[in-house]
Amino acid sequence: MTYLGGISLPNAELIYRGAEADVYTGPWCGRKAVFKFRKKLPYRLEVLDRAIRSQRTLHEADMIHRVKKVGVNSPSLYFVDPSDSLLVMEFVRGTRMKDLVSSLPQGSSAPLFTELGRMVARLHSSGIMHGDLTTSNVIVEGEKLVMIDFGLSITTARLEDQAVDLRLIKETLTGAHSDLARGALDALFAGYEDVVGERRVCSVLRQLRDIERRGRYARVD
Amino acid sequence: MPECVLGIESTAHTFSASVVSSRGEILSNVKSVYKPPSGSGIHPFNASRGHLAAGPGVVMQSLGDAGVEPGGLAAVCYSMGPGLGPCLRIGAVVARTLAASLGVPLVPVNHAIGHIELGCLLTKCSDPLVLLVSGGHSMVIAYAGRRWRILGESLDLTLGQLLDQFGRAAGLASPCGRGIEQAASRSSRFISLPYTVKGNDVAYSGLLTSAKKLLERGVEFEDAAYSLQETAFAMIVEVAERALAFTGKKEVMAVGGVAANQRLAEMMKIMSRRHTASLRVVPIEYSGDCGAQIAWTGYLAYRSGVSVPVASSSVKQSWRLDTVDIPWRN
Repeated sequence: MTYLGGISLPNAELIYRGAEADVYTGPWCGRKAVFKFRKKLPYRLEVLDRAIRSQRTLHEADMIHRVKKVGVNSPSLYFVDPSDSLLVMEFVRGTRMKDLVSSLPQGSSAPLFTELGRMVARLHSSGIMHGDLTTSNVIVEGEKLVMIDFGLSITTARLEDQAVDLRLIKETLTGAHSDLARGALDALFAGYEDVVGERRVCSVLRQLRDIERRGRYARVD
Repeated sequence: MPECVLGIESTAHTFSASVVSSRGEILSNVKSVYKPPSGSGIHPFNASRGHLAAGPGVVMQSLGDAGVEPGGLAAVCYSMGPGLGPCLRIGAVVARTLAASLGVPLVPVNHAIGHIELGCLLTKCSDPLVLLVSGGHSMVIAYAGRRWRILGESLDLTLGQLLDQFGRAAGLASPCGRGIEQAASRSSRFISLPYTVKGNDVAYSGLLTSAKKLLERGVEFEDAAYSLQETAFAMIVEVAERALAFTGKKEVMAVGGVAANQRLAEMMKIMSRRHTASLRVVPIEYSGDCGAQIAWTGYLAYRSGVSVPVASSSVKQSWRLDTVDIPWRN
């Protein structure tokens, strides 16, 4: 028996231990579901911790719902419990993009990154910033990319925020897939351009360089 | 007799010289620390004058402590950056002079990488997730593809700057970390302050402004210090945790002046345990700026053939650690 806050789950199985949440699978009303439980982070002061977890849970539920309207795949929501910081949602069959990309031969992951670029651009065009854009937060299900983990997403139309989003994926790619970062990024930006057009992609990339230049001890070229 | 090199550190408030051997023994580590008057920060020019006065004595003592003659040095290493220009130049001049007169290679070292590599030597970490927290850096770092990569960082102030600027507003003398830690340990009254995590980065400037306002409103220093520490540390530990979950590293290393804070170490320890990783904190004597970080990293670089001709050697006030190729790691 697994207890997630006040809820007990007979046949739950831990599938992912993330930074702020543990993710389980188990049955929910006869379907296979995902239980995302924002665990108490014991290093954080309790009052601070509780406020952050409940706020992010509610917010994530809202965002998972909202992104669907702009044509970005996200899991279906089954149940939300902010006091226990628990989300129950559809189990998406597929592979985490991070794992898939590492297992593919070099160069063959470009179409995936292009599609990811298109998704991110659709979010940005509708005023949503994902906030935690990494290859861990995308599940590849056949041809379909499904985006997950909207806990840090915000509603924003600022160029700066969109560039911050892209900067994170750039950092992640150079950190985790450093060998294929350049090709992957080119593919991603190409997909982004498909949706927003050349002018917009240029301004976002200019902003991205600006942010990098603001970085601690970055050379000002 | 193993090879020995001299390392000279002078990026900010500390002028330090150290001799290390090829076996990784720290034979000496002598420091002179410039202390600004209470209520103000490091004045780069004044700090550099302090370094100029202390420099020769520090170098001679480090050779004496190590029992090594100048002629026995295989190379002279110096912190080329990043740091305060006037301070960096003093260390560079001393190092160039020594290297030229002894006729040995001059080895430039990135100060931040110095913190990491010395930390690895002392804690015996081989492939850690690094939390580098000091007056100059607040970063989460891991090694991948011939470079140390930055996985998360503060977008504005470093933790050291946050603590110092808050402490100085309360009338403490820099460095204020210890004073704030002691005051915080006497409080358990938490006041909510801005908690800013953006993706895998944090921002501290709003937190600083709000914490200073608490002081202006007459909130007890202890309570403000406690709330500031709890909020600021929770933010950086959260992004460190995300990086740890993402990279799956099994070692976590905390280094830099702020790593001496016991509350931060406690939070990092709890966090690391959650991911079955072990936390190692660099001993306090070596976690702050010191010559040993330059000497040891300089030795690793020297062994890989890195050096710079004296005539074209320089300093780099801005020199991001993820732009440095690391030939000594796989």
